[in-house]
Amino acid sequence: MSLKTIQAATGFKDYLPKEYQDLIDDGPFLQKRKVSELGSFKEALEEHPMCSGCAMTLFIRLCYVGFPSLEHTVLVGTAGCGRLAISQGAVPFVYGNYGDTNAVATGLKRGLEIRFKDQPKDVVVMAGDGGLADIGFHAVMHSWFRKEKFTTVMLDNEVYGNTGGQDSGMTQKGMVMKMAPTGKKFEKMDMLGLAKTAGVAYTARIAPTNPTRVANTIRKAVLIAREVGPTFIQAYTSCNIEYAIPTPKVMDDARAVEKDRYSFEEYFSDEAKAYWDESEKERKRLRKAKK
Amino acid sequence: MYAVAEIDAEICGATKCRLCTQFCPEGNTILYDETRGTAYVAVDRCKGCEICVGICDDLAKHHAIKMVPIDQVKEGFEISKVGFKRSLVESE
Repeated sequence: MSLKTIQAATGFKDYLPKEYQDLIDDGPFLQKRKVSELGSFKEALEEHPMCSGCAMTLFIRLCYVGFPSLEHTVLVGTAGCGRLAISQGAVPFVYGNYGDTNAVATGLKRGLEIRFKDQPKDVVVMAGDGGLADIGFHAVMHSWFRKEKFTTVMLDNEVYGNTGGQDSGMTQKGMVMKMAPTGKKFEKMDMLGLAKTAGVAYTARIAPTNPTRVANTIRKAVLIAREVGPTFIQAYTSCNIEYAIPTPKVMDDARAVEKDRYSFEEYFSDEAKAYWDESEKERKRLRKAKK
Repeated sequence: MYAVAEIDAEICGATKCRLCTQFCPEGNTILYDETRGTAYVAVDRCKGCEICVGICDDLAKHHAIKMVPIDQVKEGFEISKVGFKRSLVESE
């Protein structure tokens, strides 16, 4: 398969929309872009209908920078807030039915492995806490038990934001929500603990307070998923509408929650750790050789 | 009436921090002009969340971003009209 996946056919470039022409000329494809370069290149994420000041959008935007090879990535999502932005990115996006994201990703990953033997294709599931921890729970768990080689990213806003603020399994105990008028009675689900038990190779818990760290974590998760096994990232992406956070305070809230209960935490399985240390050494060696 | 972010090119140009471009939730809304060395806003994309104002004031401590009512923006850059530009100086 040619690397020039997004090039225009000869003579047709002028007839493409301006946004597409910009992607060809100054886009993020076929080269590594850093978070510190944001604003200096045309991003894969186009204009989208997410709410003003949404931390989830910020996280998704940083994910697009973190993917190790954007042109060979396929995203899988489902109903929820996140898909409103993900569907506006210049990366193939598969809209699974509610509940089957990880089943769809399983088939997709296996199919792509057969079709493109020499080219690693990254499949990344990016859905909300409702789509992964509640409704898609069985598919998520079983994809982990089967050790499917793709990344699952949970955009954890701790609420069903898209349908008007019902509590989800990931909502904190005691929170008053639309379907929990006296406060939610059960604890927040421990998805990271479940992931470790299910044998996930790499898990991370993160809040979007440090853009470079978000991009690096995503990159790490996708690269480990390529070689070792399933990876899981749980990201705090507050819902400023349902939790009534004024938009200028969104980052203050993210920092406060990170300090309180959402600190950056990553876990490697032994195999993943060995692979990652080895590949880090290799990268260092290549960098030295370049100099 | 709604307000959009406006970046003071003089204050911003004196720094090389680029923090606002990393924290904006919108793609290609706060852009960075390599020639002038300053960030600038695509006013047609800005949703007025003020996250960049907080970042510039509290984190970077440069106080270069202010919210301005959209009808008082002078010569605002509109990315939907002209597309992505590496630098606004070249296009003039």
